Amino acid sequence: MSAAPRKLTLDEWEGRYAELRRAGLQEASYGGPLGRHVLEERDLRLRHLRFDNSAAALGLWNFLLSENERLAQARTRGDKIVGAMKDLGTVPVMACALRGVRAFYPDGAWWTPCLMECSDGLLQQAETLGLDASFCPVRAMLAAFQNGEHFPRPDLLICSTGAVCDDFSAIAQRLEKLGFPIEWWEMPRRRAPEPHETSCALPGNLSAPQVQVECVRDELARLGKLLGDLAGQALDSAALAEGIRQANRVRRLLATLRHAVYGSPGVPLPALEMLIAEMLAIHFCSDREETIRVLTGLLAEVRERLELGQSVLDEDAVRVFWVNPVADLRAMNQLEDWGGRIAGSDYMFTHALDLIPEDLPPLEALARTALADPMVGSTLDRARRIVADCRAWRAEAVVVSRIPGASHCAQEGTLIRQLVREELGLPAIELEIPPICDALLPTLSSRIQALLETARAKRR
Amino acid sequence: MQVFITSPWVPPEFIGAHGLEPRGVWFAAEPSQLPLGAGICAFAQAMIRLAETRPESAFIFSTHCDQLRRGFDALTLTLPGRVFLFNLPATWQGRVGERIFGSELERLGSFLLKIGGYPPTAKALGESMARYRLARSRLIEAGADCSARQYGEALARFHWDGTVNLGGEAQHARADGIALALVGGPLPTWQMDLLDAIERARGRVVLNATEAGERSLGLASQPEADYTASHALPDLLQLLTRSCLERCVDVFQRPNTRLYLWLKERLAARGVRGILLWHFVGCDLWRAEAQSLREAFGLPVLLLAASEARSDALRQSTRIQAFVESLG
Ligand code: SF4
Ligand code: SF4
Repeated sequence: MSAAPRKLTLDEWEGRYAELRRAGLQEASYGGPLGRHVLEERDLRLRHLRFDNSAAALGLWNFLLSENERLAQARTRGDKIVGAMKDLGTVPVMACALRGVRAFYPDGAWWTPCLMECSDGLLQQAETLGLDASFCPVRAMLAAFQNGEHFPRPDLLICSTGAVCDDFSAIAQRLEKLGFPIEWWEMPRRRAPEPHETSCALPGNLSAPQVQVECVRDELARLGKLLGDLAGQALDSAALAEGIRQANRVRRLLATLRHAVYGSPGVPLPALEMLIAEMLAIHFCSDREETIRVLTGLLAEVRERLELGQSVLDEDAVRVFWVNPVADLRAMNQLEDWGGRIAGSDYMFTHALDLIPEDLPPLEALARTALADPMVGSTLDRARRIVADCRAWRAEAVVVSRIPGASHCAQEGTLIRQLVREELGLPAIELEIPPICDALLPTLSSRIQALLETARAKRR
Repeated sequence: MQVFITSPWVPPEFIGAHGLEPRGVWFAAEPSQLPLGAGICAFAQAMIRLAETRPESAFIFSTHCDQLRRGFDALTLTLPGRVFLFNLPATWQGRVGERIFGSELERLGSFLLKIGGYPPTAKALGESMARYRLARSRLIEAGADCSARQYGEALARFHWDGTVNLGGEAQHARADGIALALVGGPLPTWQMDLLDAIERARGRVVLNATEAGERSLGLASQPEADYTASHALPDLLQLLTRSCLERCVDVFQRPNTRLYLWLKERLAARGVRGILLWHFVGCDLWRAEAQSLREAFGLPVLLLAASEARSDALRQSTRIQAFVESLG
């Protein structure tokens, strides 16, 4: 079934799919040709993307794009659905430790306007609900809740608050006023311990004072009780410890995949598929076991390509570290077309990639991991990790992609670029990617190509 | 030493008890502004500028919004040791908020000592708390007798130096104006011309619910302890924590039902006919409330952007006038 790695258009994937089927492709229940997502769910953006040609990548895309359908099926089977919001990686670990509970992030509606090329009308609808384009595209979530056409209404909605972005905090508050009750939990703004305080090590080489860890742990304990009540079974330490072990299986697979792809001179998997794969860490795309299967498949594909010395792109491609997720997935394809490749990323959930400590009481371990969220601490902490990762993966340039309307983007980019320049001397730019970036392609192209050219000049 | 505070929920009485001078930023002279970057809140930027231009003072930022948190991040590089970030909890229904606030007070105490304050005695803290409480109650009572401008300035002055100074003769608000509530973010004295513009448009601000307005005096429904009675310092700190959290009524709280309850009572009692929502461009927390305010109170809401007050005051006056007329 193997073919030389390359990127295919949606149309080209039709032929490739037939070829794979003839060769005996085994698919999961949610499998099928990619084109059906355009026809059945109006994921029109797929027509303008290019996809890796492996069966493993096909599995990844089908898994991602079938999430709403799978959630609806789970609801029909009687599973309880938890809508986790904002924390990106913590609450789902708890929810998935319980039988018959599925967790998803309504925040994921962020990408719906892109995927549906705005034919969903979610952004316009959000505007009629009081949230205009001055808010981050996550406002699409509000409309998706209201029209009920995208994901099932969760049995329990949980949202972290405190040191979270203003956009999400404001939008979630509006959601609650529209009749969707929310269980809020406090996420303090992470700070360094004072000399007289007990310091706790957090994943990602960070630290926080014991008092903050205890506060988060107490909040998680409260949520654990609510989740247990919903599931009709206690979320005890043993169950949570097992949930953490399984979450770490996902995180280990991702760590191996990231090292294999970002660390290699060639490019065994394109940027777009890597972005999607990383996202699986935050809530396992509503199915933890399937996430493990999908990632295992991707990793096998990558290893095979590495052994065969295969690369999707020219090895000369400039190694770019990318900061923040892109509102338009097409931007990831474009970067590669213009001569770049991803060699490291911070898509705002690095804490969901780090291993959760397994040698601590489970709630304490989760609390420490939640506190390692790059968005709840100082921008300087985040910038330092970016610098360290750029070093580790030998990045040659940094792109900070701004999210339209996002409150944190107003100031963080300047600090990140400043530190990257000072510490590494790398060229760095900041640019904004809207949900559909087609009209901006000429500008994006010239800015990114100038960055890549600067990076190439430094090679000489 | 002057210690500037960017949120009314960081207790000035605590700073005063350390022998330092708490200064609410709303009364400060306007700092020279730099051109605004995309998406940046002009008020948050003004706070950064204020800190940069007052090298002899200390600054307490609070965590209640992204813009101030990240403004603080930028300042830690340029002004290390002079800025402090106070973690204001967003939740208020559980015990965690109290724990966070209490530990932040402790940390703030250490910071104040480092910048030259002295350790507070129980007596000094108790007296400082009692003085501020008295001032707050006097200001709550005085509201009905002042013009909007006079009251707004008196409140800003209270946040500046803890005094109650209504500026001489009470300047009664016009009795015939349309009763309005001014709700929203910070209205520093350098932008209080807005209050005059509203009066000129035949509006009457009967409720100033901006950041340092009457809202900043907070919920005072609970009978509070006698702070001057002999309390040990840890007890006083606990009392202070509780009273700060009980008083707090703000948009960033989750859920922000306390804000709505506070408004509901006063909008009804004062016969408010329309709401002016004062916000800075880039302030998601307030902008997102416009529709919820309309739905909750069934009142018309006019959004007033702080930037427009500066760049196109005439247009803003015309909009206010049209709004007031439509309510007439
Ligand atoms: S993209 Fe940024 S602003 Fe939008 S919800 Fe995520 S963290 Fe908040
Ligand atoms: S006006 Fe809004 S964005 Fe600006 S500092 Fe205040 S809360 Fe933050």
